[in-house]
Amino acid sequence: MRHHPLTAILARLGTFLLVMVVLSLMIFTLARVVPGDPARMALGPAATPEQVQALRLQMGLDQPIVVQYLAYITKALHGDLGTSLVSQRPVTTDLAQTVPATVELVLVSVVFMFLVAIPLGVITAHYRDRALDHGGRILSLTGVTIPSFLFAITLQLLAARVPGGWPIIGRLDHGLGWQGGPTGFLILDGLLAGRLDVVGSALQHIALPAFALSMAGIGQITRITRSSMIENQRKDHVLTLQSFGVPERVIIFRYLLKLSSIAPLTIMGLEFASLIGNAFVIEMIFAWGGFASYGLNAILQKDLNAVTAVVLVAGLFFIVANLVVDVLISIIDPRMRRKEAL
Amino acid sequence: MMRDTLLSVENLSVDFTSYGRTRQVLRDVSFSVAAGERVALIGETGSGKSVTAKAIIGTLPRNATIRTGRILVEGRNVLDLPRAGREALKGTAFSLIMQDPLSSFNPVFRIGTHLDDVMRFADRRNGIATSRAERRSRIAAVLRRVQLADAERVMNAYPFELSGGMRQRVLIGLALLHQPKLLIADEPGTALDVTTQDEILNLINSLVSEENMALLMITHNLGVVRKVSDRVVVMHHGDIVETGPCRTILSEPAKDYTRALLDAVPALYGPRVIDMAQSDRAPIVRISNLNKIYGRRNGYHAVRDVNLTLREGEIFGLAGESGSGKTTVARMIMGLLRPTSGELLIDAPAPAKGRRLTQIVYQNPGTSLNPKRTVRQTLTLPLKSIGMQGDAREARLVELMSLVRLPQSYLGKYPHELSGGQKQRVAIARALAAEPKILILDEPTAALDVSVQKTVIELLVQLREELGLTYLMISHDLSLMRNFCSRIAVMLRGEIVEEGATPAVFVAPSHPYTRALIAAIPVVSDVEEREKPVVTEEERMRFLVKSTD
Repeated sequence: MRHHPLTAILARLGTFLLVMVVLSLMIFTLARVVPGDPARMALGPAATPEQVQALRLQMGLDQPIVVQYLAYITKALHGDLGTSLVSQRPVTTDLAQTVPATVELVLVSVVFMFLVAIPLGVITAHYRDRALDHGGRILSLTGVTIPSFLFAITLQLLAARVPGGWPIIGRLDHGLGWQGGPTGFLILDGLLAGRLDVVGSALQHIALPAFALSMAGIGQITRITRSSMIENQRKDHVLTLQSFGVPERVIIFRYLLKLSSIAPLTIMGLEFASLIGNAFVIEMIFAWGGFASYGLNAILQKDLNAVTAVVLVAGLFFIVANLVVDVLISIIDPRMRRKEAL
Repeated sequence: MMRDTLLSVENLSVDFTSYGRTRQVLRDVSFSVAAGERVALIGETGSGKSVTAKAIIGTLPRNATIRTGRILVEGRNVLDLPRAGREALKGTAFSLIMQDPLSSFNPVFRIGTHLDDVMRFADRRNGIATSRAERRSRIAAVLRRVQLADAERVMNAYPFELSGGMRQRVLIGLALLHQPKLLIADEPGTALDVTTQDEILNLINSLVSEENMALLMITHNLGVVRKVSDRVVVMHHGDIVETGPCRTILSEPAKDYTRALLDAVPALYGPRVIDMAQSDRAPIVRISNLNKIYGRRNGYHAVRDVNLTLREGEIFGLAGESGSGKTTVARMIMGLLRPTSGELLIDAPAPAKGRRLTQIVYQNPGTSLNPKRTVRQTLTLPLKSIGMQGDAREARLVELMSLVRLPQSYLGKYPHELSGGQKQRVAIARALAAEPKILILDEPTAALDVSVQKTVIELLVQLREELGLTYLMISHDLSLMRNFCSRIAVMLRGEIVEEGATPAVFVAPSHPYTRALIAAIPVVSDVEEREKPVVTEEERMRFLVKSTD
């Protein structure tokens, strides 16, 4: 109340910075203590011990981890995340090519989640303990329990039977002659360039992986929305509006929905962690070429700089998503604004 | 003068079905309200008074069925009306004033949004097209009727930004939006401080007479009945016990139930008042210059230079309204909070390991008992912590149950199987388990019906004698404290403004705030009303929290 709202935001950012530092320390150490020599793996079985040793020195692997870490951080703060041992290019270049693909996939999944889960939650809450509710429960449970890769493969099998064909891998038809745009988000770039054919093809390509990725979240968020709606339905303020003849649909879609969206939003923020985790699998299945499949390769190849960068980006992703969720919640709930400022 | 009947409930019977079992909650209830008349529907928990109101308004829960009866509003049976016709009555033929001013508003919408939606849809049902700006000015006018001068600010505020009294006023305004002929008020002001409740009741009274509305007041408080009704309908377990003019019911009730109900109300003045003996034993708690500031910089000064002495064996009452600091003082005595400055001495031999000198009984046994634990489990925990085992523990459990006058078989019960009074007895037994010297009673009967309150208070008085306990009671219910406490202190904004032997304080209160507090208590007889201290308007303005703006 007495503090400036900016103080609260700065404090929150400070916490996030701390999280990033701890995360980077952990991944940096972890990547270096697991068995396997990155230099040996980068050079392949044919390399001589001298060559391997030279590369180790060049990478600074002979120095204490603390020294390595400080050197890494210093460079990272200047925008240099090192060179990938596998692709032989700066990690930042690799990331710039792969991150937008994943972000696009995750964002579209989130949109799917909300479009499906919120209405489903509202409907099942309204018809609770009736056939529709039971149906919704089975659907949610299915979404949560079926592993996303199984779901992804099933979708591919079904799509293959669509008359006229439906793309099941990649992000875009190669035949469109698209050279890439400024942001790397195909849907956005296509819109900016006025290339509706690109947008259409991108949407067609992203539909299946995004749906497969959102399935688990849909199940969870439907349940949370439902229980939140039911809980709030019993409150006195609903009775107040009913006693004055405010129509049921207004009470549900205006008053209850806004109040009941706080819980699913909070869950959404946490859900991002598993979204990114699942993206590693989904991207492989759909040959998506995002940073998750890049990261998977990096881990298998023990590409130190790439692994570290991928983990940091994933962490940043999670943090930013939760910051957005916090901001959204404080927009919805005026009490949070007050509390935050305290 | 014979007035037209506005509302007539005839032979209404309502059943509730839950888990396949049907329970009759209203049996053949009949009463009527004439135009401009003020009728009180009075009863304790489970009497069916709120269900009656819900049946009239049409907000009965899904599992309720109206078995027989008619509800006539201006001669038309609303139960026969189609849904739309029924909705059209809401807000215009009758409207409801809700009980709890905080929970009656959706916390994430502005006050003005609630008001606007209610007005918009009622207008639409009446076939009137209105613009937002027009509605806003009409709403502002209504808010000024309920003495909220800065209507703009109230409309733009979120519910949590207003005080309880202001929210209650908005709820009254909500009911007035379309000039209803009948106001149905469900315990308005019960959740508020006594002085604010008094203001709210005065407001309802003046609105009813100025607008010539009828009032159906649902309450459990007989003092409120006397203040706001012409006629009283007494309900008990879904039946109407008796009906009559307010004066007759309160002075010469015909039925035993009504008489028992009236007897249970603690008297403020007159022959029914009980004077508790003063204790002349040694002081057990000594507090000097006690201060508590919450927060670090510019903290909230909750308790200011409090000096208190509790003598062994006395019942000391700490009175005050919400936010006065009384609970903070109690918590510091319990050692749950550390004082910011000052001295707090408890003059008793140090207790053995795991034991405490002080224990507390909370206000609401419904929430202070863990619903997933049986009475045995609840009582065993403190016994375990003082190292009591095996047969000794079993014997102590039995002893505790007999202390609070509960049968031994109740040890196996869960809280939901007990009544409110029984739950509070379990809470008392839990507090006594580890043999404290001082018991802190935090509004121990506020959540109970008056008849139950009476038995719990009697139990506490007996226990004090049997076990030689000292009580510190925190409460805002001065009429109860008059009969229960031997000494009393009144707190206002963190300070003690009055202290003394209870009879002396009530006969001649020295501080204007004490006078205002006593004057605001709803009493059941004219004799008591006359004995109340006089407060000037100027004093009222100076010491009471304003709920108007």
